[in-house]
Amino acid sequence: MAKSSLPRKKRTCSKSKSGDSFLGFRRLSGGPGVRNHLAIVSAMDNTNPLVRRICSLRSDLIAVNTSFGRALMGEDEAQHFRVMGHLAGHPNVGAAIIVGLEPITAGAIAEAASKASPWMPIEVVTIHEVGGTLKSTSRTLELAGKLAAHLSSARRERCGLDELTLGAECGGSDTTSGLVSNPVTGMVADRVVNAGGTVIFSETLEIVGAEHLLARRAANAQTKRRLLAGVRRSLDYTEELGVDLIGSNPTADNIAGGLSSIEEKSLGAIKKAGNGSIVEVVGVGERPTKAGTVFADAPCGGVENITSLSASGAQAIIFSTGIGNPIGHPISPTIKVTGNPRTAALMPENIDVDLSDVIEKGLGYEEAAERLHKELIDVLNGKLTTSEMLGETEITVSRAALSL
Amino acid sequence: MARAIRMDKKDNVATVLMDVEPGDEVDIEGAGGSLRIEAAETVPFGHKIALALIPSSKNILKYGETIGIATRTIKAGTHVHVHNLKSSRR
Repeated sequence: MAKSSLPRKKRTCSKSKSGDSFLGFRRLSGGPGVRNHLAIVSAMDNTNPLVRRICSLRSDLIAVNTSFGRALMGEDEAQHFRVMGHLAGHPNVGAAIIVGLEPITAGAIAEAASKASPWMPIEVVTIHEVGGTLKSTSRTLELAGKLAAHLSSARRERCGLDELTLGAECGGSDTTSGLVSNPVTGMVADRVVNAGGTVIFSETLEIVGAEHLLARRAANAQTKRRLLAGVRRSLDYTEELGVDLIGSNPTADNIAGGLSSIEEKSLGAIKKAGNGSIVEVVGVGERPTKAGTVFADAPCGGVENITSLSASGAQAIIFSTGIGNPIGHPISPTIKVTGNPRTAALMPENIDVDLSDVIEKGLGYEEAAERLHKELIDVLNGKLTTSEMLGETEITVSRAALSL
Repeated sequence: MARAIRMDKKDNVATVLMDVEPGDEVDIEGAGGSLRIEAAETVPFGHKIALALIPSSKNILKYGETIGIATRTIKAGTHVHVHNLKSSRR
């Protein structure tokens, strides 16, 4: 069954300071996992119910469901296979079972996963081959039992922040995002990059008005070109749709919250990435090839965005929110941070790090960043996030085209 | 005492951290050292207050960058928002 043996130690312990190291599951190649999930991955929308049933029968399985997956063409199809394959082959996944209707789609996802993580045990179960959804449930559970036994002997080892890829996302933004939670996220991002790690940030439409600053930070001409081309494409598309982005963003609730222009919103949004030079621009779910600050040219919607960040290899995500948002990613633990005292009081079970003391009690930025950094290390070490505890996790793979 | 935060020392606006009423003394914290100004009008939580006179058509700076252009003369201590700031991208 399993294609490879237990991951063995690839390198010796990192010499990092304790505040700059964490305990992860070292893999034979690629970055370490901060979780060791047994993922049941749905190859397409019509196998989601089967995956949900399978995951309801064992408590140690993670469902990776998807919208769409049938009748996709060209770039759209490539994007689906890439994102689902990179989610299945994520460092936080110790073993995966791809569940599909037929072997071609499921096989393509298994292949992409195996290419991303050659060490990973990956199985494929398809309804057409096994015969019906009940037999497929039984077959998957049989495989899951064996894989779970295999995963149970894995142990965490000390890893350095240079082995971390951190995703930075902001959703449900308000004026406190640019004031507190984004800049503090950026300070933690700088710490990861300075330690030799990677930070991925995204949301192409929400850099409009600040793209000149990011372009200046591009490490080379190609990165600068690709960054500006992403902005241009987004603006061209909104124009084609007849949407006046510059007039409609900031939105009415952004304006009520005190944001006066797209520049003000974007200048606040880019704070979450810190100050590092931008070494690379990647597409939706593409894996960076360089360490440092990376921009992902991906849509702004929260679930779509964290799906892309996770597929790009983020072992954890810091999700900065103003007015509040409950969602997290099932594979990449998602740390919710807010600087808004009302949000912290209104929805505490959905907030991991409450930085409202910056506004209410004059807490310094350095101390706020220390709090967030400590939570990041705790979560990397295995502490559950609020969205993991509550099961508020979801995936949406961005579409590159319309269905025909 | 009302409080506001200035994100960069070049900024000519600060963001108020609580609802501010006319006549309130506002302590400005953050970049560029501390400063105290008197609010000339109501400025809601999270909105911006002018730190100095901003002549019409001059840049309004937050995070040390231009967030828009003044569409009229903005006096120190007044509310800066869509009624007197326009995006330079429009």
